[in-house]
Amino acid sequence: MASAAPAVLHLSLVVGGELRDAAGERLGRVDDLIVRLGDEDYPPVMGAVASVAARQVFVAAEQIVELGPGQVTLEADRLDLQHFRRRPQEVLLKKDVLDRQLINVDGARLVRANEIELARLEGWYRVVGVDVSLRGLVRRVIPRALAARVEPGGFLDWASVEPFTGHVPTVRLRVPHPKLAKLHPAQLADLVEAASHSEGEEIMAAVAADPEREADVFEELEDSHQLEFVEDRGDDEIAELLGRMETDDAADLVLQLPEERREDVIALLSTVQARRLRTLLGYDPATAGGLMSPEFVCVYADATREEAIDRIERSRLPAEALSWIYGMNTHRRLRGGIALADLMRAPAGERLWNILRPAQTVRPDADLEEVARLMTDFDLTVVAVVDEEERILGIITVDDVLELVLPEGWRRRFGVLGGD
Amino acid sequence: MNLSPRMPRLPRGRPRLRPRNPLTLKLVALLAFLGPGIVAANAGNDAGGIATYASVGAKYGYDLLWMMVLITVSLIVVQEMAARMGAVTGKGLAELIREQYGPRWSLFSTFAVLFANLGICISEFVGIGAALSLAHVPVQISVPIAAAVVWLLVVRGSYKVAERIFVAMTIPFFAYPVAAILAHPHWGHVGSAIVAPRIHLNGTYVVLFIATVGTTITPFMQLYLQSAVVERGLGPEDIPAERAEVAGSSLFANLVAGFIIIATGATLFVHGHHTVHSAADAAKALAPFAGRYAEVLFAIGLLGASLLAAAILPVTAAYVIAETFGLEKGIARRPREAPVFVTTLTALVVIGAVVAMIPGVPVIKLLVLVQVVNGALLPVTLFFVWRLARSEELMGEHRNGRVFDVVAGLTVVATGALSLVLVGLTLAGKA
Repeated sequence: MASAAPAVLHLSLVVGGELRDAAGERLGRVDDLIVRLGDEDYPPVMGAVASVAARQVFVAAEQIVELGPGQVTLEADRLDLQHFRRRPQEVLLKKDVLDRQLINVDGARLVRANEIELARLEGWYRVVGVDVSLRGLVRRVIPRALAARVEPGGFLDWASVEPFTGHVPTVRLRVPHPKLAKLHPAQLADLVEAASHSEGEEIMAAVAADPEREADVFEELEDSHQLEFVEDRGDDEIAELLGRMETDDAADLVLQLPEERREDVIALLSTVQARRLRTLLGYDPATAGGLMSPEFVCVYADATREEAIDRIERSRLPAEALSWIYGMNTHRRLRGGIALADLMRAPAGERLWNILRPAQTVRPDADLEEVARLMTDFDLTVVAVVDEEERILGIITVDDVLELVLPEGWRRRFGVLGGD
Repeated sequence: MNLSPRMPRLPRGRPRLRPRNPLTLKLVALLAFLGPGIVAANAGNDAGGIATYASVGAKYGYDLLWMMVLITVSLIVVQEMAARMGAVTGKGLAELIREQYGPRWSLFSTFAVLFANLGICISEFVGIGAALSLAHVPVQISVPIAAAVVWLLVVRGSYKVAERIFVAMTIPFFAYPVAAILAHPHWGHVGSAIVAPRIHLNGTYVVLFIATVGTTITPFMQLYLQSAVVERGLGPEDIPAERAEVAGSSLFANLVAGFIIIATGATLFVHGHHTVHSAADAAKALAPFAGRYAEVLFAIGLLGASLLAAAILPVTAAYVIAETFGLEKGIARRPREAPVFVTTLTALVVIGAVVAMIPGVPVIKLLVLVQVVNGALLPVTLFFVWRLARSEELMGEHRNGRVFDVVAGLTVVATGALSLVLVGLTLAGKA
């Protein structure tokens, strides 16, 4: 055994071992260990499930003196027989965690628990980590005598692991998965896509406490997965979600819905949101009209720098929609645009028409290729979409284009699954 | 620079806000739902399967046709459970076995699947070579091209495209009913053979019976079906539709098998040509009695069947490996995204194709070995399928119904037992 202070115990060597009393007499076989998830960083062992005389019994932690490879020793020389009943937040390590998928929060990937490591910390046995390496798996397949000689493989600290508990009857919805808060919405979306449906639902449920964050994750989800998680919701819930999403992403989500539900859902949105959504949905999704977002800042060209900045300050648009500010004449015709940074650097009191530069524009029927090429040729992050009379209809930001021109295989961060 | 070849497909045309005509919707939905079930069932009618069915027809005429009814019911029962589990749990069978029964059973079935699928994969490429050599295309050309096509199909493209092509690859199976009609069977005799079983009490009859069960219900069919249902993203609400797909597809696949038996029974059996060594052999033997067209149809059927199975077997093995070890998986994943998945299926395709090109490779001996491994694996897989599908903890309200569970249990026990008998007979050198 390594010289590190607390000796590490492998779950698979404890489970299946013998249950002994204080005198060393064999009482039965250890079937599983119970831990409580939640409050503490390293979940403490709350007891064991054992088979004694062909009956399954519960052994509370207070009765246990020592856990060791191949045996669990009790304090008393007689056994307090209790029936095993699950309490909230308690899981069975072998049945509920071992061999199942876990979220590795550092690196945002799914791993499989090939072995669970326990150690005596702060006076009691706790889960300290999982082994996700092939070696951990091999050790469990070969005979016990040989297994002890196989060195442990990749060890993952429990502090960076979040188990799925949706399959455990009483734990369901009671373990909050606080570690998921560390992850970016895009990472969460990747995990949801890689996990099975119910595991994905568990992640989504953990995120749902914060509706804004939930909407962010939805924006990042692939189309088919978006549908997977809204299908079961009522029209009003979907409408609420749509209301929190950016209009162009919301339009994509509406298109995922079954045809017979689209109108019903849109009808539940606020008038403004519904109008914007309908406008976008009127365009072919493969064209500039379908790509654009109807939310942007366009001011009259004779406004001053300060008036423009005031408009930006009052707007609640996301930053990428504000990287260019547009100016129009009194006929609402587009006169040009200015980058936000240039606007800030302009002298105080300057009229916009003095500093506006010609804006690159496309028509709503321009295809994606044309938009992408224009952005590349002119080094743009934003392109304005205008109608025949040069009135601005919306803007296309580079993130929306990049998402589509990226080859399919690149879109998903690879390595979401697998060992370290 | 031209972006178009790499461009993702975007939906064209104005989006619909109002639903389509319900009848059109139903028809579209029906066609669109064809997928995992029909692919899995028809991949079972592969080169080895065709050879077995042809032997059955050549040896006993229509006398074994009755069992196809029983086999069809069994196949539907088993496949339905696998599909339902995929839809409810969102996990592949190998993954569930790992989670519920631990690493030993999981590794046993994983390596058994890997070995068996490799063996069958070789026989598929042999089948492709044999089918095309009837058209005088040398094996050295046909097999590498077929391997390249298969590989590109499952590694490039997308799941949807690959699945559509797999479904389209079942079209050549329609060659068999046509061939059966060309063989001018006595339909009255066919009908009575199905209704009134004629049982012969001798070893060959029993062996052929068991071999037919073994080739119609193979472990990879459940494994592929469940993984494909998961990859397709079907959920509990899709169960009724998927159930219909699985049942219809299994029925179709076994009708095809029945037509093969009828075609050979009406010709080879009647004319005293009682032994068939391979599917290509059957095609050749058919020509003098049912005409050149029958031979061509049989060859087309064999080609389509072998190509389909040559794609599905490596994919299944790759699914199983990835699920057991918790790795990235999926059709159309690039090597960088899912290295182990792609490596596994590439290895199977390459080894399968290379071995199939070696002249004088003892295919029969190899298939015997594969039969033993598959025969040992089938009871294990079926037992797990049954146990998992009836588990309330795992399946909740979607677990096996009471009556269905009894039927499923009987099917699993009977099929598993027959499979073990076949292993015993094979090892004793009787089959």
